[in-house]
Amino acid sequence: MELSTYLNAMRDASGVPFYPVVFQFFLVLTFALHIMFVNFLLGGVAVSIWARIKATPNSLRLSKALARAATINASLAMVLGVAPLLFVQVIYDPFWYTANSMSAYWAMAFLLILAVAFTASYVFYLSGRDKAPGASGWAVLALLALLSAGAVIHALSVEQLLPQMWKSWLISGQEVDASGKSLYAFEWHRFLHFMAPSIAMIGVYLMLYAWFFQGRKDYDKTYLQETASLGVNLALYATAAQIIIGLWWLFSVPMEFAFYKNPFFLIGAGIGTGFFLFLLSARANPIKNAPITALIAFLTIFFMSYAREALRMAYTGKAGYSIFDYKLSLDWGSTVLFLGTFVMGLIVMAYPILVAVQVAKNGKESNNEGLGKLATALPVVWFLVVAGLGIIISLKNGTLF
Amino acid sequence: MYPFWEVPFWTSGIFIALIASFHILPSHLATGAFWFNVFIERKALNENRPGLLNFIRRYTLMILVFCFVYGSLTGVGIWFAATVASPRSISALIHNYVWGWATEWVFFILEIVAIYIYYYTLDKVSPKTHMRIGWIYAWSAWISMVIITGILAFMLSSDSWIRTGGFFDGFFNSTYWPQLFARTALMLGIAGLYAIISASGMQNEKDRNEVIRLASLWGMAGMVLGGIFSAWFLYKMPESAKSMSLSGGLPYLKNMLYAAVVCYGLVFFYMLIAGFLRPHLAGKTLGILMLVVLFLGIGAGEGFREGVRRPYIISQFMYGNQIIAADVPAKAIKSEKELFKDGFLAHIYFVPDSLRTITPENEKAVGHVIARYQCGNCHTFDAGGRMRALPALFTKLGMTSKDDIAAWMDAMEGYAYMPPFLGSDEEKQAVAAFLASKMSK
Repeated sequence: MELSTYLNAMRDASGVPFYPVVFQFFLVLTFALHIMFVNFLLGGVAVSIWARIKATPNSLRLSKALARAATINASLAMVLGVAPLLFVQVIYDPFWYTANSMSAYWAMAFLLILAVAFTASYVFYLSGRDKAPGASGWAVLALLALLSAGAVIHALSVEQLLPQMWKSWLISGQEVDASGKSLYAFEWHRFLHFMAPSIAMIGVYLMLYAWFFQGRKDYDKTYLQETASLGVNLALYATAAQIIIGLWWLFSVPMEFAFYKNPFFLIGAGIGTGFFLFLLSARANPIKNAPITALIAFLTIFFMSYAREALRMAYTGKAGYSIFDYKLSLDWGSTVLFLGTFVMGLIVMAYPILVAVQVAKNGKESNNEGLGKLATALPVVWFLVVAGLGIIISLKNGTLF
Repeated sequence: MYPFWEVPFWTSGIFIALIASFHILPSHLATGAFWFNVFIERKALNENRPGLLNFIRRYTLMILVFCFVYGSLTGVGIWFAATVASPRSISALIHNYVWGWATEWVFFILEIVAIYIYYYTLDKVSPKTHMRIGWIYAWSAWISMVIITGILAFMLSSDSWIRTGGFFDGFFNSTYWPQLFARTALMLGIAGLYAIISASGMQNEKDRNEVIRLASLWGMAGMVLGGIFSAWFLYKMPESAKSMSLSGGLPYLKNMLYAAVVCYGLVFFYMLIAGFLRPHLAGKTLGILMLVVLFLGIGAGEGFREGVRRPYIISQFMYGNQIIAADVPAKAIKSEKELFKDGFLAHIYFVPDSLRTITPENEKAVGHVIARYQCGNCHTFDAGGRMRALPALFTKLGMTSKDDIAAWMDAMEGYAYMPPFLGSDEEKQAVAAFLASKMSK
C-alpha cells in the first residue's frame, strides 16, 4: 500500500460538514489565540521566578501579579487549545491520529505533565503571603513541566509532518511496534521557535500591565515604569533571538518547498520584522506604546501561524494529501448553529469583560445596564430556540416518547 | 487502519475509562454548582446576610481549582485517550459533530471568563451585576451539558441518522431527553454534596447549618429526580440494550446498575441524615468519603451506559473494533463488512512486507497483527490479562486448540454482543493460531 493511498483511505468516511478552508481559518485563528496564552503562561512563570529570586519590593509585587496571572492564563490556554485540537482532527485526521497512536504513552503523559504544571502554578500562587508568592521551587517545577509538555506536543507535531518515515519508525523485521512508548522526531529550531516568543510575549504583557494600571493610585509610578521597561526590553531581545531562530528553521525546510517565496511566510516574516523595528522605537515610551505593540504582536502571531499552516500544507502535499480534496457532506444547520453561537458568545463575553476592565482600571463599574440585560438573556434565548428545535425534530422522528 | 496501541493486561480502553470517570465529578460540578451559588447569593442579598457570601467565596474557589484545572484537563484528556485508543471512532464522531463541539467550546470560553470575573469581583461590583455574571456562568455551563449529552446519546441510539445522516436527527435521538433530564437532576445532586463539604468549614454556625440544610435539599431533590429520569432512560434504551442488561443477557451490566443505585442511595441518606436532619454531623472527612462513594456510583452508571452499546461503539454504525458496520446512504458511506470479508490484511498499512503473504512460519505473527485490530480494543491477549483476557475466556469455554478457536470465530456471527470476524479464511486461521499460541503460555 502506497503512503498516499493510506492517507486518503484514512480520511473519515463521513467527510467534512463544511468547506475545509473554513476549518483551516478557524484552526489558525484559534491556534494563534491558544499559543498567545501559552506564551503568557510560560513567559509569566519564568519572569515570576526571576522576580521572586531578585526579591526587591517591586519585583516581589510583580512576581505575585504574574503568579496570579499564570493560573488564569493556564485555564485560558487550555480552553482555547480545545478548538485547534478539534479542527486539526477534522482536516488533518490521518496525520493526527497516526502520530498520536504511534506515541500513545506520550500523548497520555502530556496530560499528566500538564496536571503537574498547573498544580504547581496554583500552589505557587496560593501559598504566597501578602506581598509575595510562595516558594520559587513550585514555579520552577511548573516551568520545567510546561517545557516538558511543550517538548512532547512538539514531537507529536513533527511526527505528523514526516509521514514518509512512519513505516521505518514502527516496523522492524517481522515486528510492528504497538507499544506506543517512543517519540520519534524532534527539531530544536522548530521547538525554540515556539518557546522563544514566550519571553517576547510576556514582555508585551508587562507593557500592557503598566499601561492598564497607570491611572490607579495604588500602583506606584516607578513600579509601573520599571515593569514597562523590563517588558519592552524582554520583547525586543527575544524578538531578535526569534528572528535568528526563524532563519535557522527556514534553512532547514526542504528547498523543494521554496518556502522563502511563500506569500504567507513573507507576510508573517515581514510583520515580525516590523514588530522588531517598532520595539526599537517603543523603548522611548513603553507605557504609551503598549496597545499598538500588543496589536502588532498578535498580528505577528496570527500570520506566523498561517505561515506554519502553509508549511504543513507543503509537507502533507508532498505525501499526496490535500485538505481541499476532502469529501464534502455539507450540513448548513450545524454550521449556522456554530456561527450564530460564536457571534452570540462574543456579545455575552463582552459584558463580564467590560465590567472587569472598568473595575480594574477605575475601581468601579460604569453603567452597562443594556449590555448586562442582553448578555444575561442571550443564553436563555439560545436554549429556548435549540430546545424548541429539538422538540420539533424529536416529535417528527417519533423519538420523544 | 491506524497504528494500533496495545496495552498489556488492560487494553487501551482503560485510559478512557479512568479519565472519563474522573472527569464526570468536576464536569457535573461545573455545570450544576452555580445554580446553587446564585440561589445562595440571592438569599444573602434579599435577607441582608453578608455571612452567606463567605460560602460563595469558598465554593467558587473550589470550583475554580477543581473544575477549571482538573476538570478541563481531563475533558481534553478524554479526547487524547480516545485519539490513541479508538481513533476511527472519535474521528467519526468529530466529523459528524464538529460544529456541535465547536458550539460547546464557545460556552466553555464563556464559563471560564465568567467564573474568574465572578470570583475576583465579589464585593467589587453591584450585587445585581455580580448576580448577572453568576447567571451567565450557570447557563453557559449547563448548556455545555445540553450539547455534549446529544453526542453521548448519539453513541447509544443513532436512530434515523443512519438513514438521513442529519446532524440534528442524530443529536435529538431517543435517549437524548431522558439523559439530559437525568444528568441535569444528578448534577444538582453532585453540586449539593460539594456544597455540603464546602459549607462544613464555615465559621458562623447558623450560616453553616442553613447552607448545609439547603444544599442537602437541593442534593436530595436532584437524586430523586435523577432516579426518576434514569428510569425513563432505561425505558427508552434500544431493545438490544434492554435485552443485554435488564433481561440478563450480560449479568454484569445489571450488577453495575445495582451498584450505581446503592451508591446513590448511600449519598442520599447521608444528605438526609448528616445534612438535612443533623447538619452539625456534616464534615469534610465524611463528605469526601461520600464523594468517593458518589464517584463509584457514577463510574458504575457510566460503565452501564457504555456497556449496553455493544457490539457497537457508535450505535448501528461502527463496531467496537472501529469497523464501519452499516451503510449511511445520505453521506455515501459504505459498510466495511463486505470490503474486509475477502481480506483484512490488505487494508492495514503498518504491516511488514514479510507478513503480507501468510505462510506456516509467519502465521502467528500475522494473526497477532489482525487480532489487534479485530479483538484488541476490548480484549487482552495476555494469560493474566485483567480486561476480558481471551486466554481465560477460551479456557472457560473449553476451547484451547486452533481448530476450536477458529470454529468459535465462525460462530461469532450469531452472537449479538460481538462484532463478527471480518477477513479471509486464511486470516481467520492465522488469528486462531495466534490465540491458540497464547493459551499454552
